[in-house]
Amino acid sequence: MHNDIPESGKPKNMKDSFGVFLKSIKGYRFPIILSIIFAVGSAILGLFIPKILGDMTTIAVETFEEGIDWGTLAGKAWLAIGLFCGSALLNYAQAYILAVVSAKYTKGLREMILDKISKLPIAYFDKHKFGDTLSRMSNDIDVLTTSMSQEIADISLSLTTLIGVMIIMLTISVPLSLISFIVVPVSVLVVGKIMGYAQKYFREQQNTLGVLNGKIEEDYSGQIIIKANSYEDLALRDFNRTNEKLATVTRRAQIFSSLSFPVTHIFTNIGYVAVCVLGGLFVIEGRINIGDIQAFIQYVSRFNRPITEIAATTSTIQSLLAASERIFEFLNETEEEPDPEPSKTIDNVRGEVEFHNVCFGYSEEQPIIHNFSVKIEPGMKVAIVGPTGAGKTTLINLLMRFYDPSSGYITIDGVPTREMKRSDVRKLFGMVLQDTWLFSGTVEENLRYSNQKASLDDVKRAAKASNVNHIIEALPKGYKSDISEDSDNISAGEKQLITIARAMVANPPMMILDEATSNVDTRTEQLIQDSFEKLTRGRTSFVIAHRLSTIRNSDLILVMRDGNIVEQGNHESLLKENGFYAELYNSQFADNN
Amino acid sequence: MLKLFRFLKPYWWQVIVLILSIAAQVWATLRLPALMANIINEGIVPGNTDYIWAVGLRMIGLAVVSAICSFVSSYFSARIGANYSRDIRAAIFTKIINFNLTDQKDFSTASLLTRTTNDVNQVQAVVMMMLSMMLRAPLFCIISVFMAIQTAPDMSWIILIGVVAILGSLVLIMSLVIPKFKIFQVLIDRITLLTRENLTGLRVIRAFNNEKVEKQKFVKTNDKLTRLLIYIDKILELENPLIGIIFNGTTLLCSWVGISLLSKDFAYLGNMSAFAQYVTHVMMSFLMLSMMFVMLPRANVSAHRINDVLKKTSKINWKRETSSKPEKVPSVEFKNVDFSYANATEKVLSNISFKAIAGETTAFVGSTGSGKSTLINLVPRFYEATNGEILINDVSIKDYEKKDLMKRIGFVPQRGILFSGTIASNIKFGAPNATEEQVKKAAEIAQAKNFIERLPEKYNAHIAQGGTNVSGGQKQRLSIARAICKDPDIFVFDDSFSALDMKTDKKLREALRTITGESVVLIVAQRISTIKDADQIVVLDDGKVVGKGKHFELLNKCKVYQEIVKSQLSEKEYATELRLAEGVKNA
Repeated sequence: MHNDIPESGKPKNMKDSFGVFLKSIKGYRFPIILSIIFAVGSAILGLFIPKILGDMTTIAVETFEEGIDWGTLAGKAWLAIGLFCGSALLNYAQAYILAVVSAKYTKGLREMILDKISKLPIAYFDKHKFGDTLSRMSNDIDVLTTSMSQEIADISLSLTTLIGVMIIMLTISVPLSLISFIVVPVSVLVVGKIMGYAQKYFREQQNTLGVLNGKIEEDYSGQIIIKANSYEDLALRDFNRTNEKLATVTRRAQIFSSLSFPVTHIFTNIGYVAVCVLGGLFVIEGRINIGDIQAFIQYVSRFNRPITEIAATTSTIQSLLAASERIFEFLNETEEEPDPEPSKTIDNVRGEVEFHNVCFGYSEEQPIIHNFSVKIEPGMKVAIVGPTGAGKTTLINLLMRFYDPSSGYITIDGVPTREMKRSDVRKLFGMVLQDTWLFSGTVEENLRYSNQKASLDDVKRAAKASNVNHIIEALPKGYKSDISEDSDNISAGEKQLITIARAMVANPPMMILDEATSNVDTRTEQLIQDSFEKLTRGRTSFVIAHRLSTIRNSDLILVMRDGNIVEQGNHESLLKENGFYAELYNSQFADNN
Repeated sequence: MLKLFRFLKPYWWQVIVLILSIAAQVWATLRLPALMANIINEGIVPGNTDYIWAVGLRMIGLAVVSAICSFVSSYFSARIGANYSRDIRAAIFTKIINFNLTDQKDFSTASLLTRTTNDVNQVQAVVMMMLSMMLRAPLFCIISVFMAIQTAPDMSWIILIGVVAILGSLVLIMSLVIPKFKIFQVLIDRITLLTRENLTGLRVIRAFNNEKVEKQKFVKTNDKLTRLLIYIDKILELENPLIGIIFNGTTLLCSWVGISLLSKDFAYLGNMSAFAQYVTHVMMSFLMLSMMFVMLPRANVSAHRINDVLKKTSKINWKRETSSKPEKVPSVEFKNVDFSYANATEKVLSNISFKAIAGETTAFVGSTGSGKSTLINLVPRFYEATNGEILINDVSIKDYEKKDLMKRIGFVPQRGILFSGTIASNIKFGAPNATEEQVKKAAEIAQAKNFIERLPEKYNAHIAQGGTNVSGGQKQRLSIARAICKDPDIFVFDDSFSALDMKTDKKLREALRTITGESVVLIVAQRISTIKDADQIVVLDDGKVVGKGKHFELLNKCKVYQEIVKSQLSEKEYATELRLAEGVKNA
């Protein structure tokens, strides 16, 4: 039923994953060993209790004639109490140690994952889904937390109990033990076989459920089209067919898996009866004591449990290893190339940016920018234009060093950005993207995000300049109002204004802007235009432009197509060239002229 | 949860068989310790071998009976469980697929989806468990108590002590831990939120060099979570040792009391051992029940969510057949139409009137939230107007039979929606009997022909679930083709052109004009270029009509329209437009 866990519960490479996992818990080996010792101790102490109770019965029967020996009995009883209390205490101690260990261990892993996120190249996340990383942080860690604290102790406890019980049973009666030793494993084997068959149906059930969920999702999200085309009856018929199939396989899977219950049941009962009957006969023959059957029956039931537990543990361990494998796979991804040491810095930036023979491709087989060179003078406005999907953000990725060119280099005031720290390069730019990312926190915290040292006055000044002050003041708690990426108390356009203000708070020497295309009403649109204008005044700025006025007013236009920069120049010169820009311009704006 | 039990009704006799078989099985299992007591008392003590064999055979018989009953009960619980969840799922799906958009809006698609899938799974898991464990545990408990008292009446007070001890320790642990679970969930959610933000805000975080700030926030929550986790575990882990002590203690108590009663009746020798097993069964069944009570609240939440859907009564009633004869010539008319969402005081649309006639294009413009999209969703009755009247072909839409109304409308939503299947099956979605020619023609008009014919399998190319294997623009063109293939009286385009680039947009509209000569065309659009040639433009602001007319007329008189045009053109172009408009006015 956990179809939200993307991958199956089996590790790809059992042995390696086990090794990696063991290595990762090495730091905790002492507490873990200690807890295993406690677990074993707890199991051993617990073992003797039925035997003592049985002895009590034997003593009672044997001394019955001459008056029960209460003194000896009381001694035995205290011994039993001491043993089971001691066993419980050790059990708690081991559980406690493991709980602390697993909590600390997973805490460390969570931090490592977060660290890793900040160290991986952006390229990694452009290729992998967020959900994938997110599920490692939540689902996989969750599996580790729960299974780690249980399994390590359980398996040592079960093994000890199993071995101990076998020894004690043998000391009581070899033939009786043999009966139990045969019956129990046979039942476990038979059940295992049955579960193997059931597994097949469970898989089928999982698959059918997946298919059905897919259908439901599709129908619900396309409901408007289903309605508009009167498709309801057909959709329902389709749904019912799959739903019926799901019911059939569920039934099969359930029946098969629940067969295990009657099967174990009959085996245990037969074992029980055999022990009662044979044990009774042995007592009459004087081969064992009466208290011993009583004890023996209890041992048989204790013998069953560890076997089933060990069987269950193997599957839990599998999923534990699968989870840890996924986590370490992520932690072992190649990190971004480290910053150069020593690195260069620029003081008093003028804002001269130059591309020197830059080549770039998101994958090595597919270079998209070929040998691009351009010199941008301080204070120039650069418009990046092109149809959707032409790769306009690529230039931003290169400027901000989210990606590095495969050959060639970029300089700022003559200093190659490759020889600077990434953080020093990024400090030089203010960035306003179409994707208005805000984190959950107050408006003020969000505005201060670009410059943690800014005062509230600085923040307000920037908000005023970005025409968003009055909107913020109108919120119930003003600058202290909570917002987030998906909060709906402010509109998309207002969010854009906030991100502009955020960039302004930092007051960077250069700007990177991405004009929003849609979802903004006309009035907010004008406010945004106005603040963009202020933001770029006197600064070298790069704008991904959609608006004609922006394009025309820029000093340099870079025209992109299929990832590459195909033309550069200003509006007039590009029109004269009569190339791709002219075509683009005519198709988009022609009927307005 | 209880309400959902009504779905078990068709299976009532199976449920009865199930209960009977479980009862028989429990009884048979529990008879065994009593028989064992007999072996001790009447076989072993007097040394009667024959008796032991006789009782042994009876025990085997009981074991077989118990196994058969156990098999029967497993079979029926699996059967009932699977059929039960099938029925609930079908009931919800049927309900939702017939929802109107207003009903759907009350829930949101994502929530409806979880209700049909996860929530049903939750309920199914609990029902299946109930059918086996929940029925078995009380039966075990009751029959055990009964038999225990029968075997050793003098010892029955021990049962009480055992049960009180078990329940007491469970209540203690749970009362300490359950309040913490809420905080735990909050912290876990916060961890997920922070991780998500670190992923979605990747570029912004790096652009502002805020990796350290993010880490600090995360570490703070992570520390809190870890501390809480250790606290919870510290208490939860008490459970096992405590239960161990209670079980062992009770067994010891049984032996001690049994032995002390031996002088009164030597039969206690066998009985105390049987009694101890019964007490263990009683305590086990309480443990099982307590597990149920941990699961139940979660399933209960799911059950509520399912019930909310099933309870929903539809707000829109359809006629069984179209009651009056609609005109042959298509038209759409709004007469003083108001619309507001249920429970909302503010009107989304107020007093909307206009008439769109065959062969003409009527366009709707306005800023986000002006209500233009809501307006055209009223035409196919996706939403129901709160006041006023909407006429199609001069007949009120309320007088149409559902399928008859839908047949007349070709609706293209904002987002291109496709279904898994082939390109052809998607285009034919609204017109299953369309010929291959018609499909091709529709694709051609929708400017989809080129990309389709470039695919290796052409019209039989596979469309993945949700249309994820075609681009946004292609999706939109296919969904336009779907509407065209229907050959409707009325075309409704809800901002359907904005996913297309201007060039395709223009070509598509030109091609469309060749077939819409006798149809009504309603278009919602953002771009001025898309609507500027419309025969009638309706300008909406804040749910009201603030202008109606052609492009140049509106440029002369409608302020909102002027603002919209201005925002999309350069100053020079805007001046040109105004000059042209001036010319039209004077002419």
